[in-house]
Amino acid sequence: MNDSKKQHNEEVRLMKGNEAIAHAAIRCGCDGYFGYPITPQSEIMETLMELEPWNTTGMVVLQAESEIASINMVYGAAGCGKKSMTSSSSPGVSLMQEGISYLAGAELPCVIVNVMRGGPGLGTIQPSQADYFQTVKGGGHGDYKMITLAPASVQEMADHTVLAFDLAFKYRTPTMVLADGVIGQMMEKVILPPYQPRMTEEQIIEICPWATLGKTANRKPNYITSLALLSEDMEKLNMRLQTRYREIEKNEVLYEEFSCQDANYLIVAFGTCARVCQKTVEMARADGIKVGLLRPITLFPFPTKAIGEYGRQTKGILTVEMNAGQMVEDVRLAVNGAVKVEFYGRMGGIVPSADEVLEVLKSKVIISTFE
Amino acid sequence: MTTNDIINPANLVYDQPKILNDVPMHYCPGCSHGVVHKLIAEIIEEMDMQDKTIGIAPVGCSVFAYKYLDIDWQQASHGRAPAVATGIKRLLPDRLVFTYQGDGDLAAIGTAETIHTANRGENITIIFINNGIYGMTGGQMAPTTLNGMKSSTSPNGRTVPLNGHPLDITKLLAQLDGTCYVTRQSVHTVATVRKAKKAIRKAFENSMSNKGTSVVEIVSTCNSGWKLSPSQSNDWMVENMFPAYPLGDLKDI
Repeated sequence: MNDSKKQHNEEVRLMKGNEAIAHAAIRCGCDGYFGYPITPQSEIMETLMELEPWNTTGMVVLQAESEIASINMVYGAAGCGKKSMTSSSSPGVSLMQEGISYLAGAELPCVIVNVMRGGPGLGTIQPSQADYFQTVKGGGHGDYKMITLAPASVQEMADHTVLAFDLAFKYRTPTMVLADGVIGQMMEKVILPPYQPRMTEEQIIEICPWATLGKTANRKPNYITSLALLSEDMEKLNMRLQTRYREIEKNEVLYEEFSCQDANYLIVAFGTCARVCQKTVEMARADGIKVGLLRPITLFPFPTKAIGEYGRQTKGILTVEMNAGQMVEDVRLAVNGAVKVEFYGRMGGIVPSADEVLEVLKSKVIISTFE
Repeated sequence: MTTNDIINPANLVYDQPKILNDVPMHYCPGCSHGVVHKLIAEIIEEMDMQDKTIGIAPVGCSVFAYKYLDIDWQQASHGRAPAVATGIKRLLPDRLVFTYQGDGDLAAIGTAETIHTANRGENITIIFINNGIYGMTGGQMAPTTLNGMKSSTSPNGRTVPLNGHPLDITKLLAQLDGTCYVTRQSVHTVATVRKAKKAIRKAFENSMSNKGTSVVEIVSTCNSGWKLSPSQSNDWMVENMFPAYPLGDLKDI
């Protein structure tokens, strides 16, 4: 019986990245999803509505009247210590920024998925990575950070949903899964995570003693707020948050290396761009160019140390993104002038091809280091 | 009767509810908030719901409501209290969940959340303090500010060509299929305080028996914002606010 259950859990399925998020959310014991339709991520809520988890795990799924309402429903649920999440795409995530700032200020755990599309404005529905700054550098008002996971496969869409909840609760912070339209829409094989039961109220009281579940006789009232009237109190909250962010930087950096061991040159790319650049590395190596790929999996915390080391070991770095050059600033900060960092990006929903990247690598990075 | 007889607990006919914390309130003398807070505290105590109640405080003067009522609270961003309440009540359906909002919060920036929460018929209570002004930020014009009424952003009085009409959002909410009880009360006399208490109690009971959204508007005074004494404010309210926002039940099913 156990074996067959295990086998069922490890069954390989074929699905879209967005669908994998929905399945993973149910399986990891998510209590509530609140969302608003927007392309290219609507399959997340559609899949949840089709699966009707309220009949199985008891998970609540609700279509809200706006992204603003969604993120505030998440705030309410998260304030009760419930595993809650929302998902959207770039323009919708812009609308959520105030709510995310409140979640960060009130130290509430939750998961936000952004399946990025081209901007600015209404932009396009095609894939983009142009929300890197918004996600990693703040987005909303005030000094806060969000743990940011950047999946590059359908498998990671599922895995990162589970991991995002774990990190959110570990550090009492909103956590972002920052995907793009390609990862959301493409179909790949995936092994879904095993089922975990939803937290009982007793478990919530133990893990989240701050949760507003109703004031019982044995404790003081709990209140969820990001307000402090005295600036001294507000500075204390800020210092607590900053200390936590330093802990996150110390403990939670994730990245993947591909053919880096003997590399003379390094490509840094995340998400879909990393998939493209993996092909570039194979093509370059066939041409005798020793190039490696470093794929940041966490964008905050950023793999600063690892990239800094490659800055000393390699002759040139190329950062590839689907934007006008955002993560490249963090790569440059990481190498701190030790090596030249070039950038190549496509915008407005265009995915660069492996050939394009190889050409740029040869013309901009390799030539310049010979000069 | 001597003073000692009067303070003898056995002779008490009126007491402070235990849920109302014994701390000085920051509200201005004459403000309606204090009375409404006390009513909520009394009702929660009478219903024995302290351990099952979650209040949602808005942005506005009542952002500090958590200091005064000894229950769990969440503080929402401006206008979003009904969405926050939805998130809580959907995941904790056996709890008493209420929002406490002012006119700017509920009827301007939070109009969408208010209407959609009520239209979904979320099993929550919305306590709506309507004093026709933004009190906390210093007396600016609100969506419910009356025509001709002066505020810091309508110094010569609100005019329709410039500001549009005052919004009777409670009337609008009564039209929605999701609301079960919509009423307008005040707390400026002993009689109206008693009526308001009955209304809030009924709303809370509706929320616990899953009848839909209950809305209790309290037409209130903001004597600091109105630049009148507490007593003048009450008179001004009766004379000017009540004709525009008449007291009574708008819906009760």
